[in-house]
Amino acid sequence: MQVMKKGYLFGTGRRAALPLLLLVPGVFFYLLIAFGPSLATAFYAFTDATGIKGLPINWVGFENFREFLLRGAASRDNLAALQRTLVFAFFVTTIQFSLGLLLAVVLNQKLRGRFFFRTLFFMPVFLGVVIQGLMWKLMLLPRGGPVSEVFSLFGAQSEFLGGPPTQAFIWVIIVQVWANVGITMVIFLAGMQTIPSDLYEAARIDGARGWQLFRNVTWPLLTPAINTNFLLNVIGSLQAWQLFLVLTGYKPGTQVLGYLIFAEGFGQAGGASSFRQGFAAAASIVLFILVLILGMVANYIVARREKKYMA
Amino acid sequence: MNRIRWIVLIAVLALVAAACGDSTDDTTAAPATTAAPTTTAGDGGADTTAAPDTTEPMAGLTGTLRVLLHQNPPLVEYMEDFNKRFMEANPDLNVEMEVLAAGDLATAIQTRLTAGEIDVIDFCPDPCAAFSNPIQPYMSDADTPVWQQLIEAGLVMDLTDEPFVANYDSVAVADASTYNDRVYALPMGRVSYSGMFVNNDLLAEVGVPLPTTWGELVSACEAIKAANYSCMTVGGADGWPVFVGSYGLLGAFYPDQAGLVEGLWNGTIKWNDENTLELWRRYQTYVTDMLEPGVTGLAHDAGPARYAAGDVAFMPTGVWQGPAVEDAAPAFDWTYVPFPGSDDAADNQYLFGKYDMSWMVANETANKDAALAYLAALSDPAEYNTFANAVGYLPTQPTATLDTKLGQAVAPLLENYRVGFEQYWVAPKGAGQWSNGSQGAQFFAPFNTWEDPVALANQAQADLEAGLGS
Amino acid sequence: MTTETQTKDLLSGGTQTTTRRRAAIASYVLLAVFAVVYIVPSLLVINTSLKTLPEFFKDPIGLASSLNFDNFANAWNLANFPRYLLNTAFYTAVATGIFVLSSIFVAFPIARGYFKGSNVLLTLYVIALFLPPALIPQFQLILNLGLFNTRPGYILLFLVNPIGMIILVNYMKSIPRSLDEAAAVDGAGYFRFVWKIILPLIRPAIATVTVLHAIGIWNEIVMPTIYLTSADKYPITRGLIVFEGVYGSDWPGLAAAVLMLIIPMAALFMFMQRYIISGLTAGSVKG
Repeated sequence: MQVMKKGYLFGTGRRAALPLLLLVPGVFFYLLIAFGPSLATAFYAFTDATGIKGLPINWVGFENFREFLLRGAASRDNLAALQRTLVFAFFVTTIQFSLGLLLAVVLNQKLRGRFFFRTLFFMPVFLGVVIQGLMWKLMLLPRGGPVSEVFSLFGAQSEFLGGPPTQAFIWVIIVQVWANVGITMVIFLAGMQTIPSDLYEAARIDGARGWQLFRNVTWPLLTPAINTNFLLNVIGSLQAWQLFLVLTGYKPGTQVLGYLIFAEGFGQAGGASSFRQGFAAAASIVLFILVLILGMVANYIVARREKKYMA
Repeated sequence: MNRIRWIVLIAVLALVAAACGDSTDDTTAAPATTAAPTTTAGDGGADTTAAPDTTEPMAGLTGTLRVLLHQNPPLVEYMEDFNKRFMEANPDLNVEMEVLAAGDLATAIQTRLTAGEIDVIDFCPDPCAAFSNPIQPYMSDADTPVWQQLIEAGLVMDLTDEPFVANYDSVAVADASTYNDRVYALPMGRVSYSGMFVNNDLLAEVGVPLPTTWGELVSACEAIKAANYSCMTVGGADGWPVFVGSYGLLGAFYPDQAGLVEGLWNGTIKWNDENTLELWRRYQTYVTDMLEPGVTGLAHDAGPARYAAGDVAFMPTGVWQGPAVEDAAPAFDWTYVPFPGSDDAADNQYLFGKYDMSWMVANETANKDAALAYLAALSDPAEYNTFANAVGYLPTQPTATLDTKLGQAVAPLLENYRVGFEQYWVAPKGAGQWSNGSQGAQFFAPFNTWEDPVALANQAQADLEAGLGS
Repeated sequence: MTTETQTKDLLSGGTQTTTRRRAAIASYVLLAVFAVVYIVPSLLVINTSLKTLPEFFKDPIGLASSLNFDNFANAWNLANFPRYLLNTAFYTAVATGIFVLSSIFVAFPIARGYFKGSNVLLTLYVIALFLPPALIPQFQLILNLGLFNTRPGYILLFLVNPIGMIILVNYMKSIPRSLDEAAAVDGAGYFRFVWKIILPLIRPAIATVTVLHAIGIWNEIVMPTIYLTSADKYPITRGLIVFEGVYGSDWPGLAAAVLMLIIPMAALFMFMQRYIISGLTAGSVKG
């Protein structure tokens, strides 16, 4: 058996099997937990599987997809969830990206207390989504809560998380950014610290100042950090829904696709609804296609930037 | 260097955690929910002694009985006490009870039963209504309810021949726990969800009589608000308690709730026909004018504490909050009446409601004897009476009576008790999110954005027809 | 060497002290605004935890009138938070450790193209980036393996992370192939070479992947809902959600519970934050 390529340097024959042996656990986990189940999801999407042991699984063809995308007024609600997923991802990505960059630029100066601020902004990541959610539910109590009091100073009023879905949705975006901007900021900071200082000196000698320095030195040289953040944010926000679970629960009008899949598959969609894992699987195939397309677009943008700046 | 220390730290952490994790695994790890001290001060002890001794030792019950329970403070308190007594009577048996928020219960039942990791189940997944929402012959394409899925999968034990089933009202057993002539559960009680708690003292102070019609309610609210009190509160943060209140309105318009469901399915009743439009207007008045500001942030179980503060006249909610209201010890005289939704006082005498939690046994339990003994002990008439009074259920055992304040308020209304719309309604597949008009109150501001009742009624009907025609 | 000192006047754009001072003031104002948004929630939790329930209902944000520590005692008695913390640490450490170790030996031959089909494998990992979590078949899998409601079963769910794998592969590609050749000439074995030579060189990437992966496990709330039934196996996230479900509207009690968790977590974070922050960054901005 000759599986190793010619360039392999560490022995031949039986000794050459070692890398494969060491490869096995990682690939095995991948196939077992990620790839295999994903293929199975594609299969389930065409069945009426319930996830309950003892019930037959019947092949239903494209019925789940038809129901999700086309059937009656429910499809309108499903497509709204799909659109909401995109809106959520768009706003979370852009806001988190820009704020993270801004904070990184500010904290990259030699300011007193900069380590304190970095730690502070990163802290929510460490506390986790449940504590984040509880803190903000408390912050956003509709009458008498701190944010509500600040609002009333300006004569404004909001029901926050329990009111009209659009309002609740905006607040989830805000909390999502609040919770995760720390990661984005830290990755940018690290990127900035790899930029050689003589480049700034050289640019300055050429007469570059402030914004020009940022535009001509920082921005291009920050490319790897920008790319990492961009991909992490796009993919992460398309699949993030745990804060919805903690902050609003499953409600029509705020649910995003990831939540819809969980709720339909595990009996949390409300009412006397049954367990519809086949339908949920179909929804997750739709989500996969969506993420794949947008991921490709993001990847294309990243690759173009790399060509432009890293050549 | 730093990173090496990091990795070492993780490794050490892992070892420590592994060591701690394993050493305590099988010995001291009591589930958090049973770790609570059950004998605190006087009242806990009093409960224990006052409760009838129905848990006689059964020979040879051993092992661990795993019980799943939904969260409801008086229920949990009662069950913790019961478990303690049951374990004292059966010293070789350990009862391990897992308490979950009602929203997680469906997932837990599905996964635990499928994995064979549970013995006794409190069947109370949303909407916690026993074997409700069955598919009727006139429903062409609709989802099978959860209980039917579980029974058809063979996961639920047939209790038909167990003697303790006879302790329950046969009508309740037939209505709430029977499928294809076999009994699969014990109906532990009924609740009503179309009434409201009333602060009598506040009404007297403001000088308005107890409202018996919609018109009287509207003017009472105006007078109450003019006197600087709140008219109504409700724990609205969780969504559903709001439409619990509006079931009173729906019931006043359509006392035949099963007929309403059939009418909606076959088109003889429409959400936007002339008669029903007024219902939507009243929904709007109810949530927009009558409910006090801020209820969108008040959790369901915070309602009783809010109500007990005394500056609010009405709290539309289910009778299950009776024990919590009594616990909150309002310093005023209160009662519970049907929500006066109709202009005709005669139409406002009905209480609508549902069967609530029921006990099931996993078919594949390894502790069949213990599980059945557990249900038998819970079903003992004296024990059941304690249970119903502790939890505030309208009893489903003929010998039990509610001696609570709430029970006395509700007793005369029970002959007009009816199962409500929510338990008959099954949405046709493809119906949109506005199609369930019984929840219409929640579609208006401040809970949602609708402001025109007619437009909303049209949308509800359109969402329903989109499903019926798909 | 690169340092912060040289980029300090990135924004100020000049060497005049006035502009620089103005920039510094603007920076501090911005930081102060953000700091408020990050500190107030914690202060609110502290204040709420000291109140009684009626006090809270009367005025949610007024200062606690007296120090009422009952909430802490209650929360402590009602839920086994130390165990939840320990569980979370255990799951995070073990799953992250296994994942990182097994990934190194997958990433290296892929990065070098040492075996046939390595590109296919890499493509599979890239595709996996976009896969939605396959909750449903995974559930069937764990059930059929008999690992439902077990620690190994729960850990098994977290042994894959495509983003981590891709970061490792990319980083390894930046390590010159001549090293392999030199080592081979010296007669080093494959395992020894990867372990002794490559591993130290890719430490930044390992640190990044470790932190990213650990954060994911630390924050997970759905998996424990599905897979863990016994309270003694709950991670913090699950334990806290159950606690919230059970003691829902008792905000002072809830705040006390949250605070009891924040304190050890914050201490742990203070201790590790240098490693976390440097780890999060080092590997992801190169290669």
